[in-house]
Amino acid sequence: MTSTLPAVTGATVPAQRRPAPTSPSSGRTEPPARLRSSRPDLLLCGVLLAAILVVQGWNIAAYPTLSDDEGTYLAQAWAVQEGRGLAHYTYWYDHPPLGWIQIALLTWIPSALSPDSMTVGAMRITMLVISGISAVLVYVLGRRLSLPRWAAGLGMALFGLSPLAVVLSREIFLDNIAVMWLLLAFCLAASPSRHLWHHFGAGLAAAAGVLTKETMLVVLPALFVTMWRHSHRDTRKFALTGAVTACALIGLSYPLFALLKGELFPGSGHVSLLEGVNYQMSRPGSGFVLDPDSGSHGVLHSWLYYDRVLPLGGLAGALLLILTWRWSVTARAFAGPALAVAVLAAVAMRPDGYLPAMYVIGALPFLALVLAGGTASVAHAVLRRWRAEGEKRAVSAARYALAAVLALAAGAYVVPHWYDGNRTALTADANKPYRQASHWLAGRVDDPGHTRVLVDDALWLDLVHAGYRPGLGAIWFYKADLDPAVTRTMPHGWRDLDYVVASPTVRRDAKDLPNVRAAIEHSTPVATFGTGDDRIEIRRIGAATAGGAR
Amino acid sequence: MLTSVFIAAVSLCLFWMAAFTLWWQMHAWRTPEVLASTRFGRPDGAEHLSFSLLLPARHEQAVLDHTIQRLLESTHTDFEIIVIVGHDDPETTAVAEEAAGRDPRVRVVVDTHEKKNKPKAMNTALPHCRGDVVGVFDAEDQVHPELLAHVDHAFRTTGADVVQGGVQLINFHSSWYSLRNCLEYFFWFRSRLHLHAQKGFIPLGGNTVFVRTDVLREADGWDPDCLAEDCDLGVRLSSVGKKVVVAYDSDMVTREETPGSLMSLLKQRTRWNQGFLQVYRKKDWRQLPGFGQRLLARYTLMTPFLQAFSGVIIPLNAAVALFLDVPVGIAFLTFLPLVTAAVTFVFEVVGLHDFGRQYGLRVRLVHYVKLIVGGPFYQVLLAGAAIRAVWREQRGRNDWELTSHVGAHLTAAEPIREDVPA
Repeated sequence: MTSTLPAVTGATVPAQRRPAPTSPSSGRTEPPARLRSSRPDLLLCGVLLAAILVVQGWNIAAYPTLSDDEGTYLAQAWAVQEGRGLAHYTYWYDHPPLGWIQIALLTWIPSALSPDSMTVGAMRITMLVISGISAVLVYVLGRRLSLPRWAAGLGMALFGLSPLAVVLSREIFLDNIAVMWLLLAFCLAASPSRHLWHHFGAGLAAAAGVLTKETMLVVLPALFVTMWRHSHRDTRKFALTGAVTACALIGLSYPLFALLKGELFPGSGHVSLLEGVNYQMSRPGSGFVLDPDSGSHGVLHSWLYYDRVLPLGGLAGALLLILTWRWSVTARAFAGPALAVAVLAAVAMRPDGYLPAMYVIGALPFLALVLAGGTASVAHAVLRRWRAEGEKRAVSAARYALAAVLALAAGAYVVPHWYDGNRTALTADANKPYRQASHWLAGRVDDPGHTRVLVDDALWLDLVHAGYRPGLGAIWFYKADLDPAVTRTMPHGWRDLDYVVASPTVRRDAKDLPNVRAAIEHSTPVATFGTGDDRIEIRRIGAATAGGAR
Repeated sequence: MLTSVFIAAVSLCLFWMAAFTLWWQMHAWRTPEVLASTRFGRPDGAEHLSFSLLLPARHEQAVLDHTIQRLLESTHTDFEIIVIVGHDDPETTAVAEEAAGRDPRVRVVVDTHEKKNKPKAMNTALPHCRGDVVGVFDAEDQVHPELLAHVDHAFRTTGADVVQGGVQLINFHSSWYSLRNCLEYFFWFRSRLHLHAQKGFIPLGGNTVFVRTDVLREADGWDPDCLAEDCDLGVRLSSVGKKVVVAYDSDMVTREETPGSLMSLLKQRTRWNQGFLQVYRKKDWRQLPGFGQRLLARYTLMTPFLQAFSGVIIPLNAAVALFLDVPVGIAFLTFLPLVTAAVTFVFEVVGLHDFGRQYGLRVRLVHYVKLIVGGPFYQVLLAGAAIRAVWREQRGRNDWELTSHVGAHLTAAEPIREDVPA
């Protein structure tokens, strides 16, 4: 029997003699060394998880409206599954492919059991796996940042039940998957054992997050801060350099991949990573977010339409934590998430940046955590601060009364709003026109195999399952103008097409796409589903002239 | 297709090898608690054990006296120094006798073996040891005065049969290879050896090693025919369940220096590798109870050869991926070992920084550059030594190659036998 100094009879080396100093903490409830074996934690987390899965899962296919982006990612995942390459059209380095490779893995079994279910509405169910994991990680992270149990539960509930989060988590967005990886990275960075390989793993998870959705890059400094705070002076340099190295090496695999394919640098006749990056960096800005006429403002408004508590409360929480840095233990523990919120807010405030609708997804868990942290901080101030040994009972009672009033007031504001928002999410059917259009195209067109349809990606896989040729029969409408491989097959422009499915997305973007615009102009609706701006028209292109080169 | 499968298999194999080695190399820094536990406990002042310190010296008259003087400064109250000299080495004998005349704690034992080596010398001295614990030092070692008190404490508080202290090469600035050599020692004694102690299989070092006298006698001392008698002793003792404890304190390590030339480093490493090979072939490690322990033993004793192998294969593999037309997925796999190598490099850089900090040495940018640039060349050296060791073992040449070095604290460049702790 041999052992390291001093005598230990097991394989493990417990802390002894010179125990490493504990991380900063005061009278707060310390998280148990192993959450896994803490029954109250498991119970609370389990109950919340069940509630979140029910609220997010119920009616998931019908609400919110199918988006073109979801369809694109799923179609790319389908292409991966089918062995057609990394995308349903030429992969052009718009995003790193890891995101939809993961979607392909997630949907592998359901699509193998029932190939026709590989459509956006049906496959949203797989996102429950992601949001479930993310919600649990929010709880774990809250506890590891030394939140009391109730506050960690609050953070998990905010993240999982806010109507804004419910709507966005349901959609097949890369951001949702990237957030899961980032949360895992934060949890590993805040590992109570301060294990070298946990920090290394945090670097790997962060890299996976960035390779899933590149915008997660901006959160990495906050992750670094978290890791710095949670590492020990004696082992910090190894832990941090290890994490940074892991992250950088895995991140480099993307340019390496491009290099191996000979597509790192621009050249004639092929796509390239640099061109893809260049495209993303030079996307036209959507204006200043506080300018009421800008597109960014519209995006902000759409978030606040679903929920004001999480975005605005989270920002207020971050501000509170940053301002009380000097006095509050919680504020210091939450340096990482608060910084993440601050960085994401600053990036969103760029005067002429591009602000996509899913941008806020990356901020949701951090908003939830800082709001929970801020609440815990306030609760601590009300209940415990300046509390003397023999405080008068009346004062104590007043403290609890104040806390109860605050809690009730918050509840009175939040619960009705959330109830309304989530009731819509659980009951509304926003996708009936899509289902009807899909049904019509599957049943009312005589020869799908020889019919060419312009369609947005939300319906693209439906058409493929209905027998249309993927790519050149069912045509993602952008490609009719932007992909040389597709335009080559349309020498007569719109005359070579049979139908155009004019969904809101198609109508909105047709103004910049000559072929699509011409197709709409030279067609007449043969079926219309829904009403107003959300309607979907199936338009047949001028019967006499259609049907050129097939 | 077959090429792809072959490349993938080789890559994954190399990756796991490198990953495990890295995992073990970083053992001490896994958590702050592990790091804290690798140090000596603070002595409680009580001293109960007596020490017999063996000091084999051969043509080392230039440094021997200094080493003895420093050992005599030890704060411990109960120890004797047994200097072992050869009957054909009058200069060293004279220095030893003189020291013995000055201080009754010093004794001289003469080794009369016709062919001399370190294990034979120490076996000669073993019957003369009166202490409870036998300690081994080399003639050029700089030993900390408080070391014995710490070791005494470690024996008593842990119930150990063997205590291995740290040995550290210090002269990292001497040359590009001494930089790497120093760092090798640093990772080995600071980190890896603790893992071996914890797992119950440990190749001991050549000096600053302390064994209970009865345990050592029971094991019949050192193997006189083994080129790595230190490693062998550790393997034999841990294989029969003796408790080994390792402690490393930067101010308590025994300081040494790297070999003075590339050739002597090569010879030293060859002897070490050949010794490992001999220990592997002696099969004492097979008595280890656990399957994992035996695997660790097998792997550790084979390390020099795996290292040589991987040093050649990793670049070759990456070149194949770049220049042959293999699928992108397979090409990716071939980069995995390179990734672990890169991580290892980074940890070595951080290790060098930590080494500088621990020993109060100024590590400059040029040293980091040397560390990185010298890496591949050092691999070549290691590979060369491994191949040479196999060749010598095959030819049955297992004599001790004498190596010489120029000591920083030496004035005369006498040929000195350099000992390598495993």
